[in-house]
Amino acid sequence: MSNKISRRSVVNGGLTMAALSSLPMPRMAFAASEEEGIIAAAKSAGGTDLKGMIWSNYYVAMKPTVPAFKQATGYGVGSIQDISVFSIPQRAMAEAITRSPEFDFFHLDSNMIPSLASAGLLEPLDKYMDKAGFKLNAVGNFGNFMKYKGNTYGIVTDGNVHVHMCRKDMMENPEEQKGFEDKHGKKMAYPETWEDDQRLMEWFHRPDKGIWSSGNLRNRPNGVTWWYMYFYSAGGFPFDDDMNPTLNTPAGNYAVETYLNMKKVSHPEAPGWGTPQMIPRIASGKIYSCQYWDGAIGLNENPKKSKTAGKYTYGLIPGSDFSGKRMHRSISSPVAAILVNRYSKNKERAAYMAMWWATQKNSETIVGDNVNTFHDPWHVAHFKSDKVYQTYKAGLPAINSCLQVASPPIYLTGLLEFQDQLAKNLSEAYVGQRKAKDVLPETEKAWKKIVRKIGKKKLKAELASYKALFPKVNVPG
Amino acid sequence: MPPFPGSALSLLQNMNSSPTSNTNGSTKSRPRQLVQARAVQRFKWSVLSVLIVVLVAVLFPVLMLQLYFSFHGYSVYGGSWWDAEFVGLELFEEVVTDPRLGWAIIRSLLFATGSTIGCFVIGFGLALLMYRPFRGQAFYYILFILPMLTVPIVIAYTGEMLLYQKGPVNDLLSSIFGRQVNILWLANADTALLTVMVLEVWNWVPFSFIIMMAGLAALPDEPIEAAKILGASKWRVFVEIQLPLLRPVIVLALILRFLEAIAEFPKAWSLFQGGPGSATETIPTYLYIVTWQYFEISKGAAMSYVILLIMVAIVLLAIQILRREKIGLDQIYDSRKETTA
Repeated sequence: MSNKISRRSVVNGGLTMAALSSLPMPRMAFAASEEEGIIAAAKSAGGTDLKGMIWSNYYVAMKPTVPAFKQATGYGVGSIQDISVFSIPQRAMAEAITRSPEFDFFHLDSNMIPSLASAGLLEPLDKYMDKAGFKLNAVGNFGNFMKYKGNTYGIVTDGNVHVHMCRKDMMENPEEQKGFEDKHGKKMAYPETWEDDQRLMEWFHRPDKGIWSSGNLRNRPNGVTWWYMYFYSAGGFPFDDDMNPTLNTPAGNYAVETYLNMKKVSHPEAPGWGTPQMIPRIASGKIYSCQYWDGAIGLNENPKKSKTAGKYTYGLIPGSDFSGKRMHRSISSPVAAILVNRYSKNKERAAYMAMWWATQKNSETIVGDNVNTFHDPWHVAHFKSDKVYQTYKAGLPAINSCLQVASPPIYLTGLLEFQDQLAKNLSEAYVGQRKAKDVLPETEKAWKKIVRKIGKKKLKAELASYKALFPKVNVPG
Repeated sequence: MPPFPGSALSLLQNMNSSPTSNTNGSTKSRPRQLVQARAVQRFKWSVLSVLIVVLVAVLFPVLMLQLYFSFHGYSVYGGSWWDAEFVGLELFEEVVTDPRLGWAIIRSLLFATGSTIGCFVIGFGLALLMYRPFRGQAFYYILFILPMLTVPIVIAYTGEMLLYQKGPVNDLLSSIFGRQVNILWLANADTALLTVMVLEVWNWVPFSFIIMMAGLAALPDEPIEAAKILGASKWRVFVEIQLPLLRPVIVLALILRFLEAIAEFPKAWSLFQGGPGSATETIPTYLYIVTWQYFEISKGAAMSYVILLIMVAIVLLAIQILRREKIGLDQIYDSRKETTA
């Protein structure tokens, strides 16, 4: 056999490669180069192990991807401080106040980016991303959740978004269908609006059989998350261009009404329940429907952990015609992401570590972990991945469509303060401590003080970043 | 009820007990007493000096820093704290006119009063059952003090599991009352504070129990024995001898527990985070929200000072009450010494 390579064979080979590269196949080749770029950049940044603040429930799925990075670059994650993702904002802010270089990265809700960046804690990551040739390839507008005032401050690891889930087995029962049709004069169908959803929940509300129809949260810290969806889908936005609160509007009142209406079909203990109480009810089939964080799908569809595998149908979050046009708005909060400490000596290295976790290949490993479903799909490639499909099964298209209409909470400096004032007043109305009509005027009053305190000019300059997070479509394609 | 001739004061005043060595006036024992007194003094100062050093080195700078924040409008979003603008008493004015703080103080006082009374009544009851030696006493003693050794957060989560609407506590109450009891311990704004109170009582009954056990064990036997010889019933011995003699201990137990209860945070926060509505927004909860959710560090510092002043006023009142009780007790014992002399 001759070892000679003819000119013709080289030309033919080149043509074949060129033709092949135009096909949509070379995903593996892209993935490899994505990682190679990060490694090359990371190597040039030197090597000391990193220290991060991250909840072990999240880190457990990320940890297996670290050794390969360490082998290639000489550094990985040396130690972590294991704190709940809900407590990290406070801890991170303490680090900001003291300008501490102690932690290299924080894993927390990216909606805290405006507050933490304003406090001077966060390192913009764009230059490192450029150096590594890395881009966040997220569904729809989701990548913008990492941006603030034109800079990227976070690398997403978890595509948290609310999806709608309802009991397919109950809806497919012919007797139920007939009864519903007789009562409402229309066929039972997947809910397209909040009103449809309420009607269905009221129909399937069977406390005598242990089914309290709604699985939506109504406790003080979490309940407000649902309110945003009602409000945004009714065409509401919480501030005008001069940073005056615009909550006490028809859209705001529609949202409060929708929020409180659900009391009829919620468990009496709902005002005190968070995820630890509600998730077992969802997975044991003691509800009819809810909008919930997409991680619940992985649990529901895991027959080892759930009684409801195959019983739920998942889909687009209901919308509203209130504004005159049909709008669907889901909510993404918290969106767990890696944020890098500006005061850290290892900030560049931490940025590459974060990118490593967000490559197509590694993020598939992280998101596809069907034991710890804390990280949910967000990357465009996740929705074509068999590994991710095995975890989310029929819920995967629903996550995709909800990500396309994902909206943020108050994406401004002072998120927690704005949000708690609203959450407190909503919760007070829900438990009867406050009249429903007072919720929004009182919240507006409190918000005006917050705006004054943080600074109207500063917040006005942030409005564009907030608005940029909203979906470009009202109904996903 | 006619006055019992052997009530605490009169009995102690009129009793003839055996003379003590001190009353002998021995000249030899005086230098020894002097040495003892000096040793006690040295011990006092060795302990106190450490505390003073800790206070000056650790607490004082913190208090000063907090005072600085209270007078400066520092914003976490507005540069360095040492460049913050001086705002005088503005923050204090904001704090004292904040209706949420007002409600938080009311809730905290309610909570502290309720849980202190609960702890005391149960703790004292248990102490009365336990203070005389009996077989297996040590076992019960350990059993009763266990909740105090449990981390408050564990108490909160254990309590949560017991207090669900379909939980064991409602089940137990249902079987006791013979009808379905469905108290919403964890979800009703009217009962939420009561729930934290119940858990606080569970957690801290042993504290009152231990103090009252010590108090009961330290009571002199003579007046009680004398009263019994004179035909007093157990109830009258308790009401007219034991209770008056225990007064300083009771006051101490109540005051210490009250001060501790005012500062309760872990259970209220882990279970309710201020909710449902604002039902469990007590002083520590609201202080945490302002400082670490709203990141209003300066307002939080000013609020801490206002609360500190309120607490100092409560402590001074408590010291006054304790001092009065001590004087009362000293009078009883002094008159007893005089009588025996």
